Amino acid sequence: MLKRIIWMGLLVVWVACPAFAVDGNKLLAEVDRNLSPESYESYRKLINIEPDGRKKEFTLFTVKKGVDKVASVFIAPASEKGRSTLRLGDNMWLNIPNIGKPLRITSLQSVVGGVFNNADILQLDYNAEYNVEKVDEKEREYLLYLKAKTKSVAYDKLKIWADKDKKLPTKIECLTEANMLIKTLYFKDVKDFGGGIVRPAVIETDSPLYKGYKSVMIFAKVKKKSFKDEVFTLTFMSSLESLR
Amino acid sequence: MKRCRVVFMLLLFWIIPAAAVAAESYSFDTDEIEKKSYHVGGYVEFKPVLFGLDRKAAFYKLRFFNDPRGQNLLEANGRIQLEGSFEKNIFRIYAKTNTDLKSSYSGESERSTFYEFYGSVKPLSNLKFDVGKKTMKWGKGYAWNPVAFVDRPKDPDDPEQAMEGYILATADYIKSFEGPLKTFSFTPVIFPVYDHVNDTFGSNYKLNLAGRFYFLLYDTDIDLMFMTGGSRPDRYGFDFSRNITTNLEVHGEYAYMRNSRKNVPGPGGISRQIENEAHSFLLGIRYLTSFDLTTIVEFYHNNAGFSVDEMSNYYSLIGHGYDLYQATGNMTSLAQAELLADSGYARANAMQNYLYVRFSQKEPLGILYFTPSLTGMMNTDDASWSLTPELLYTGITNWEFRLRGSLIAGARNSDFGEKQNDYRIELRVGYYF
Repeated sequence: MLKRIIWMGLLVVWVACPAFAVDGNKLLAEVDRNLSPESYESYRKLINIEPDGRKKEFTLFTVKKGVDKVASVFIAPASEKGRSTLRLGDNMWLNIPNIGKPLRITSLQSVVGGVFNNADILQLDYNAEYNVEKVDEKEREYLLYLKAKTKSVAYDKLKIWADKDKKLPTKIECLTEANMLIKTLYFKDVKDFGGGIVRPAVIETDSPLYKGYKSVMIFAKVKKKSFKDEVFTLTFMSSLESLR
Repeated sequence: MKRCRVVFMLLLFWIIPAAAVAAESYSFDTDEIEKKSYHVGGYVEFKPVLFGLDRKAAFYKLRFFNDPRGQNLLEANGRIQLEGSFEKNIFRIYAKTNTDLKSSYSGESERSTFYEFYGSVKPLSNLKFDVGKKTMKWGKGYAWNPVAFVDRPKDPDDPEQAMEGYILATADYIKSFEGPLKTFSFTPVIFPVYDHVNDTFGSNYKLNLAGRFYFLLYDTDIDLMFMTGGSRPDRYGFDFSRNITTNLEVHGEYAYMRNSRKNVPGPGGISRQIENEAHSFLLGIRYLTSFDLTTIVEFYHNNAGFSVDEMSNYYSLIGHGYDLYQATGNMTSLAQAELLADSGYARANAMQNYLYVRFSQKEPLGILYFTPSLTGMMNTDDASWSLTPELLYTGITNWEFRLRGSLIAGARNSDFGEKQNDYRIELRVGYYF
């Protein structure tokens, strides 16, 4: 009888265990989808805040399609208006109206200065660039340890703290291969944008490399929308504003 | 009790600001992103420049032979650019004007023109037609673009300046694919040259045709371009650009011109025209270090440019003309030299081989929006050079402050050694609205 109970117990544990184990990559894909639909448009305001409180603001209109296509155009301030950026996978370009032709840029540069770099501004799905190595399950959140799929990704490693119920990030640490902290992103102010999109409306970032400086990204009018592939081309960069 | 109330009030005043800070919130007024059918904006610039003159240089003698100057020359420049657009359905009109103002030893001058003024129709998301005055800006090079067949020459000393376009009709057709070829686009250009229409471009009364085919193939930008029609010798070219790693980009351009023509001084100062095949190419890299130092290195070869001997003969013509004018007042040789200057000898980088190196450090010492840079350009045929340190600050919204100096050096009869100036210092203050 005892033997039968032990066998039954082992069988229950064997069946139940996979249900409890967290599939890291699946969880990351869920986090990505909760952050934004696969194809969407949005407006963002970037604010760079200096230690003395001085601010500089930039407003961008952004469109994204699939896992590897994203484009943005600056609509303010006047000095930046018309500048556009395009990302196709690992390829990034900046189009400055005066220069008139798209220049290749790198993910670690920043078209706005401050703590946000081009990889942050032209963010693809995390799932597209990273594999989940490990997931720590805590009482109210998951901690995902991510490793870049290729060397061309801006940060070698990410640590993502994600809310267990909402499956949305609350904090992300961006690290080098040697685990040196480059910057921390804080996701705040979860908001219903309509159309089933509920996500943080504010991302704050600071960096030990920019002590005392802070940058903030505020989202508005995040909307599901589909675009033709031709929108995500160098030739279209100067016409991005026509999509608004 | 009263004391308690005072303590409570003090606590309240102490806590409220702290609470306000803790709950710092950011607003995004959606009115500011409301799209309007029109846009009006502009740019105003003030740029005083101090030139340190080289009074032994050929180009000083050519310019000031009858009006000698001291060691320095001060010049004040102003620029006003206005731009506006109006959009309705698939139609758009865009205009950009430019007014240059100059106050110098020779008086005041003003030149206003439309840099761009064109209408667009976009019947499909992958098809667009433009007609009017427009800049095309072909090529991948930063300082030079040998394949920019339908553009005015770029100023290598200030490659990011807005440029004046040409009157043309063009279209963009774009097609995207899955697979190694991700994008294809075709840009045909109809380029007329008639009286008052692009008449400084080349031979008159010709309808030229140009085109560019673009491919994003295996993560590499590739363009093939051509121009034919008779206003200038037929030309063909290609360019490419590719990121080797996230922080290293390589680019290049090649242009071939049939029957390229140039004027060279012959015996007695009379110019003659030489016709040759011309090959022109540029190879460059852009590299970003982990500490945000961007390096651009480009090598430019143009065998349609002047050789060391041709340039030396030209400087001799100026020298001879200057001496003749000083001795007799005869301006014949200098007038001949001025004609040749207009035909190409006075243009920037008129010779055959140049090296361009630019280092720019983003936000050193944590100073936000501050970018110091150092640019060097060398004529590798005669080892003459210029060196330009620059400080750029863009920390105040819509304002731009740039201070730069240039040292220009080289032996006698060399490219940079015979420039009008030994050095120049300029301040540029720009405001966007």
